[in-house]
Amino acid sequence: MSTTRPLVRPDAGAVRRPQRRPYGRTSRRSPLRQLGKGVLVALLLVFTLFPVYWMLNSSLDAQAGHTNSFWPAEPTLEHYVFVLTEGGFGTFLRNSLLVALGTVLVSSALALLASVAVARFRFRMRTQILMLVLVVQMVPLEALVIPLFVQVRDLQLLETLIGLVVVYVALALPFGIWMLRGFVAAVPVELEEAAYLDGASWGRMFWSVLLPLVAPGLVATSIFSFITAWNEFIFAMTMLGGATENYTVAIGLRSFFGVHSNDWGAIMAASTIITVPVMIFFILVQRRLASGLTAGAVKA
Amino acid sequence: MTQQVTTQLTEKLPRLSRARAATVRPWLLLAPALAVLAVLLLWPLVRVFLFSLQDYGLREITTGEPNWIGVENYAQILATPELWTVVLPNTFGFAVLSVAGTVVLGTGVAVLLASLGTFWRTVTSSAIMAAWAMPAVTGTYVWVWIFDADRGVFNDALMSLGLLDDPTNWFTNRWTFYAIVLLNVIHHGFPFVAVTVLAGLLGVPKEMLEAAEMDGAGSFRRFFSIIVPQLRQVFAVVIILSTIWDFKVFAQVFLMPGGAGSNRSVLNLGVWSYVESFGQNRYGFGSAIAVLLTLLLLVVTAVYVRTVLAEEER
Repeated sequence: MSTTRPLVRPDAGAVRRPQRRPYGRTSRRSPLRQLGKGVLVALLLVFTLFPVYWMLNSSLDAQAGHTNSFWPAEPTLEHYVFVLTEGGFGTFLRNSLLVALGTVLVSSALALLASVAVARFRFRMRTQILMLVLVVQMVPLEALVIPLFVQVRDLQLLETLIGLVVVYVALALPFGIWMLRGFVAAVPVELEEAAYLDGASWGRMFWSVLLPLVAPGLVATSIFSFITAWNEFIFAMTMLGGATENYTVAIGLRSFFGVHSNDWGAIMAASTIITVPVMIFFILVQRRLASGLTAGAVKA
Repeated sequence: MTQQVTTQLTEKLPRLSRARAATVRPWLLLAPALAVLAVLLLWPLVRVFLFSLQDYGLREITTGEPNWIGVENYAQILATPELWTVVLPNTFGFAVLSVAGTVVLGTGVAVLLASLGTFWRTVTSSAIMAAWAMPAVTGTYVWVWIFDADRGVFNDALMSLGLLDDPTNWFTNRWTFYAIVLLNVIHHGFPFVAVTVLAGLLGVPKEMLEAAEMDGAGSFRRFFSIIVPQLRQVFAVVIILSTIWDFKVFAQVFLMPGGAGSNRSVLNLGVWSYVESFGQNRYGFGSAIAVLLTLLLLVVTAVYVRTVLAEEER
């Protein structure tokens, strides 16, 4: 092992070693330690990226489902073409886009109003309402799907996209309120008071002072709601039933599974199409997402 | 300054109307959101409980007439041998293993990330984000494809290494089935833990760590005696949230071959409730299972809410 080349300059860190580590422990920059770290990083990258890579690889290989190779043996875009034309995935994408945008518009508006209430006003029951917002996020979808199926059925909205939007607004709302609350609270009260002093009404202050300052938070919340609606599976499966023309991407994928064999090239191409927008959005909001979930437990 | 502004404000506006606006306005702002939550989350929760006390099938759905049978559904659930031998072990065993796996791996990765330079930290955390962003549905299909019996790369690799003679169907055996679910859920879940713990780690005062190092504490000792106590709150939240998520794992089981009810040995509470309701049209029985799952989660949630609100109201 000592013959392996160190990953850093051999002299790096050597100078300070005597003063900083009087007990003669291995220096943080010792070659052995660097090597160990390199191995761990490599393993981690393989573990995290392999499924993503394998999805892309299979989606681009005409041989997918026949012979496995670690890069496309016969590079092609035919799976994507098939999925988007004959596979009908264009319709599924449109449906998912409509449902997700509808969810974003309604849930963000409602969440903004509610978050101003809990972040800006002290009123009786405020803590109870915050608690309610936290608790309802934990309710398992398996428990909601039965009564909501009945409710949406009574409204004659089964097998429609509007029925899905109604449910998704409810699913996205609690986290949206929780997340936006932090953004609203971060706007200095002095700015609002200055607006009042200039004679602005509350509504005017809301539009001209609060809203522009909360805009980044609104974007983050919207992206979160979008992802929720885009990925949702159990309600889409239950409520859309046999209405294939209204399928969203998450359940549209199932049409590429056959009774005897599955078209893996097509499934992976469709999966890639579903995953890419989510990954882009995700990178945009990930920091907000983590801090929204832990809600002040981490001071980053 | 603030004081001055406030006094000016109170002088400017009539006292009474200002006070009234302050009590009414938050409720006006909350009204639409509360209405949605009440109609679409709270009322359904009440209803699933009401259904669970009925023999609620297709006829009841169509006519809307109640058909009360008391706690018979619950009695029947508790008398089902499968509950004790299959469903509960699958639900609890899986939750324990996946929470442990997610938190341990996530924490390890956070420590690793904290020790990396800027470049490698960016590379690694971007890769982690990719794993996190993978939707549950597509992620599950990718794992199913990797472990596919006939054409999957996993069997291929094992056979070409001479570790396996014939292709094996990993989805029929309960243990290997859940091993794949575990891999899927940990892969999807550890990034959140890693990112959260990393944020906490970067907030631990360097002086404390250096002082401990001076006193001869090794890296394990430093981790367990300084970092863990400092990040107690972070770990509590991460463990509780993972528990909540892993108890109600659904798509990751349902979408696997045999996971949608045809392989009874891999049922968990959520899937069992769903297949009884929508597969057998026994909505009352399924509701009772769902109520049990909700009650279990409620206990964990109560701990979560206390942890978070304790921080909130500090």
